[in-house]
Amino acid sequence: MEKYFRFSILSIITTYLLIFFGGLVRVSGAGMGCPDWPKCFGRWIPPTNINQVPEIYVEKFNIVLAWVEYINRLFGAVVGFVILLSCLFAYLYFKKNKDVFFPMLAALILTLVQGWLGSVLVHSVLNPITITFHLLLALIIIGLIIYSAIRAYTVIKGNSEVNSNYPKKVKWLIFSIMICMVIEIIIGTEIRGALDMSRKDNPLIEGAILLKMLGSFKYVHTVLGIFLISITYILRNVLINLELSCSRLMLFSVNSMFVIFFLQILSGEFLVFFDVRPVIQLFHMWFSSLLIGLCVVQYTCFKISKA
Amino acid sequence: MNKTSIISFFILIVFLGIGSSWVINKANESNSIPPPIMKKIPDFNLMNYDGKPFSRDSLLNKISVIDFIFTSCPGPCPIMSKNMKELYNQYKLHPDLQFISISVDPDYDQLDVLNAYADANGVVDKRWKFLRGKMKDIKNLSTNGFLFMSENLPAGHSVKFVLLDSNANIRQYYDGTDKASISILRKHLNIFLKNMNLKS
Repeated sequence: MEKYFRFSILSIITTYLLIFFGGLVRVSGAGMGCPDWPKCFGRWIPPTNINQVPEIYVEKFNIVLAWVEYINRLFGAVVGFVILLSCLFAYLYFKKNKDVFFPMLAALILTLVQGWLGSVLVHSVLNPITITFHLLLALIIIGLIIYSAIRAYTVIKGNSEVNSNYPKKVKWLIFSIMICMVIEIIIGTEIRGALDMSRKDNPLIEGAILLKMLGSFKYVHTVLGIFLISITYILRNVLINLELSCSRLMLFSVNSMFVIFFLQILSGEFLVFFDVRPVIQLFHMWFSSLLIGLCVVQYTCFKISKA
Repeated sequence: MNKTSIISFFILIVFLGIGSSWVINKANESNSIPPPIMKKIPDFNLMNYDGKPFSRDSLLNKISVIDFIFTSCPGPCPIMSKNMKELYNQYKLHPDLQFISISVDPDYDQLDVLNAYADANGVVDKRWKFLRGKMKDIKNLSTNGFLFMSENLPAGHSVKFVLLDSNANIRQYYDGTDKASISILRKHLNIFLKNMNLKS
């Protein structure tokens, strides 16, 4: 059982690293680094010089981008394998516990779908809607694994929420954070996609200027972000006032959420007011995936406190 | 939950930040290398659709994207011209970049036909040229200038877009019907235009 818990934690960590790497592929423009899928320029090991590239692909060869994209695929395969093992252990130790086994099984199936979606991405030459789906699916997968891991922990170490007693408004606060966050992420990917489109139509113009040219939905992103950090602050105050009837995990996740929201606002405003730096874009995206994870932690804590 | 895990999280962030900056930097560097010179094209004498002569000198001091088409072509040409039109519209702020479509069916593609074709593709300025000339000159340019197979013209013309630098050197060939290939062309155009802006 412990083994399953360890593997589920390993799945969470590697999946988060993979989300980071996927974002890195996007911001470094390596999405089409390999023009084919699953092979790269017709090879299982990407070419190291232009002579190895088949003639039909010659203009597309960029050694850096090819390897960045290919390492993402390889790492994706490794993570898929870790999730497969986790699912196997879940089956061995938790097959009767549907709160542990089924989320992990769903995560495994969705991971396979995610790999397939990766191939669709390449064949559609990075269709923006498919990119968004690729990210959203990753967030669903990480959510499922986190839920399963906490559930398994509860079985192994006892319910950490046994003394918790959350008032109804905690539930509503958690739900509103969750819903607003999903909307916020979708608007964020829209801004990102619109920026890419406008960069194509206005080559050689700086990102910050293009961002200013975008429609008013970018303000919705800022306003909703401030709203989200405010609700998180309220939730935090409610929980602190509960004192002992709030678990440490719950309080930790809300505190972390508050800190990360703060970092999100900082990085977001940096992008708007200074420069559309790829590294900042990358962390802005990755932090939002951490926030989704924390949201799932809170939801799970609340749920098992009722059990 | 404890101090060590918070510290290790921040170390991870720093590590990821440095690592990703390095990768992004490498990617940017690799994206700013222009494709190498392949060969200089020979001189030629053709005519633009406005009736003015067009020779190799007309390519100098400009970046050019060239393709071979014919207006009555049912196959790949409409896709090529659609992609060319998209580039033409995207680069409207860059007069240093010209698009050139050379007819491989000059008997049918007289100046008035080319004019109508330009109109149909929304050409409003001199950035996109449509050239015609003697069939033998065109065949010679296609074969010896661009190294295309030119046995069965007009139907057997190439679907490539060719990028020429400001000295009439061929830099790279792209598939004019493939979106992924054209996005690489766009990347290369940006490198050349940026370098040109720096010089002027």
